[in-house]
Amino acid sequence: MAYFHLPVCISPQNSFPEVDLYQIRESKNNLLEVMEPAYPGIPAAARRRMGKSVRMAVGAALPILEKFPQPDGIIIATANGGMEDCIKFLNQIVEYNEGLLTPANFVQSTSNAAASQIALVTKNHNYNITHVHRGLAFENALMDTMMLLKENKDAGYLLGSTDVISAYNYNIDRNAGCFRDELILNTHLFQSKAKGTIPGEGAFMVMMNNQKMGASAGLNSVKTIHSIDPLTILKTLEKFLSENFMPGEWPDLLLTGEDGDERLLPYIDIVESSMDKCVPVARFKHFCGDYCTASSFACWISMQIFETGTIPELLIKKRGATKPVRKILIYNNFRGAQHAFILVSAV
Amino acid sequence: MSRIFITGMGLISAIGDSVEENRISLQHGRSGIGDIQFYQTAHAGKLPSAEVKYSTEELNKKIFGRRNPTITRTSLLALHAAGEAIEDSGLTKEAIHSPDTALVGATTVGGMCLTDELYHDANAKGGGTPYLSSYDYASVTMAMQERFGISGEISTINTACSSSANSILYGARLIRHGFARRVIVGGAESLAKFTINGFNALNILSSKPCAPFDRDRSGLNLGEGAAFLVLEREEDLKGKKSYAILSGFGNKNDAYHPSSNSPEGLGPFLSMKEALESSGLNERDINYINAHGTGTENNDETESRAMIRLFEKVPPFSSTKSFTGHTLGAAGAVEAVYSILSLVHQELYPSLSFQNPIPETGLIPVLQFIKKPMQHIMSNSFGFGGNCSTLIFSKT
Repeated sequence: MAYFHLPVCISPQNSFPEVDLYQIRESKNNLLEVMEPAYPGIPAAARRRMGKSVRMAVGAALPILEKFPQPDGIIIATANGGMEDCIKFLNQIVEYNEGLLTPANFVQSTSNAAASQIALVTKNHNYNITHVHRGLAFENALMDTMMLLKENKDAGYLLGSTDVISAYNYNIDRNAGCFRDELILNTHLFQSKAKGTIPGEGAFMVMMNNQKMGASAGLNSVKTIHSIDPLTILKTLEKFLSENFMPGEWPDLLLTGEDGDERLLPYIDIVESSMDKCVPVARFKHFCGDYCTASSFACWISMQIFETGTIPELLIKKRGATKPVRKILIYNNFRGAQHAFILVSAV
Repeated sequence: MSRIFITGMGLISAIGDSVEENRISLQHGRSGIGDIQFYQTAHAGKLPSAEVKYSTEELNKKIFGRRNPTITRTSLLALHAAGEAIEDSGLTKEAIHSPDTALVGATTVGGMCLTDELYHDANAKGGGTPYLSSYDYASVTMAMQERFGISGEISTINTACSSSANSILYGARLIRHGFARRVIVGGAESLAKFTINGFNALNILSSKPCAPFDRDRSGLNLGEGAAFLVLEREEDLKGKKSYAILSGFGNKNDAYHPSSNSPEGLGPFLSMKEALESSGLNERDINYINAHGTGTENNDETESRAMIRLFEKVPPFSSTKSFTGHTLGAAGAVEAVYSILSLVHQELYPSLSFQNPIPETGLIPVLQFIKKPMQHIMSNSFGFGGNCSTLIFSKT
């Protein structure tokens, strides 16, 4: 089993530097935008050059790097990191008809900007990779890290994710019908049945190693699948459960990526109803909004639940047996086609 | 640990739309670099590039037999190359659809080759185009997932110009760790205003055909293409044909500058060294290096320095980018296929346009097509952000 240490999350909620999950920050204009901290650790000149997704990633990584200055690798998940700079550059191309352009936005726009900036500021020459597979980028980064920790038992890796709402991906996804048309608050996300969700963003960073001592959680297993057939998801879940639980044993909590989009409900329903009725169900996307690497927020929330021993009331969808939460099954679904199961446990 | 074999290859580039066509062009020194014919850009005719010699419509017809309005050129190139690789490996339908078959793609422009459509959609200038879910990097891998019916693990990697070298090593690791029995790995890239203007703004595009490792080199030429390989475990081969063994790989970061290598090429050195160590080989065992060799001032000198530092005697090397241009996210996979062709046929392909060595390093690449007995070949891919990766292939 791999272990999470020193999790840091910059999110639309009160997650950094102080954590308070008993209050919920409301969305504004159907957006859940992060509360960016002041980033005292990033020099002002460097901060100004960084796009928001890189800034959030570096800002979340720095507190960890103070304790683990030279991780054996940097594994980052981001589906649209750099998109903001990318489109700024693209707008220049179109508006100046491919004339004389400045390269700054182009250099900043690559998806590997976060992973490479972290390597650059810490002079880290080790393994460095960026997974960008849309709604499963974070799961791939988790799997990559699990493999690395089997390859190098004494190593420690910086794992993270970062994605932002930019005016651009917002416009594209809105036109694609991903978001609610009507004005809605995140606190009411699950009250009406309609198409679409509200977009969110966030950065998550954590140190991963094989040391149980002092860990925030253990990572048992990850499984991803591409399918639009709820029955395929059910079969995948059944196999995942049989591989990770004894017969008759269940997770202590199911945490789902229900996002208020009625088109996702058939998947959520089939996963929820396959659980024993004593398994409580919670959900997290009214806290962080929907974005490609939102399952990293679910991992972070799980660690908070293990640490405090309670499930924040605002997350609960269905109550179950009142027993200590030791194992959390996260089910995330990105726009109906990409599904992931992540099993994490208390140490 | 089971050894990983390459059992299928597919490739489309400016020098051919199959592995065999590419080999013939390499043997005859026929470069694909020239004026841009199909892509609409203000730089056509001024910045030589290595364009795949089919219009997007023709690619659609080759693959789907009709126009397919949501598939981008990058995805079409990927489908073409992956289709060839799958057929070449003789994978059955059952094997392709099995949860044991993983797919790892790589690209740095994804669907952003559609600059004007993206401009329209990103700035919300009216209703959406048909491409709303086709711009991101994952769209290329998703198009392959749908087309071939992949149900195993799937990833897309973007580490700039080393992307598909990383997709190959990531795929090999998925097999080693039991997440897959076989993987389809590679990358795809198409010409895009985004990259043409980006590299041009950095002043690293040459107005002439690129001259890797030449004293008077003046930059790179962009190229497009896709290459995919099928990797399988030794125990699953059961007499099946295979081309080579993926015997080692390295992934390191230069951690020097966002868009150039450190003067001594530390990242490239560390990446080659790690690949050697992981293969259990000695530096003397490497018979040839398919260099990153972009033709830029910075890369060729720093890569040379790294080779000189690692190798007591630098083995024969060349840059096939003088044929294909720099295919960015596809380059690692394109050059992996060329490296494997070199091993299978025991032949080396030259670097074109070379005249004088870089005075500080004095290295001279392979200058003509030659036959040569070889056991082990190294292939380098370095990218912006300091991402350096190296693969080693060995004869079966």
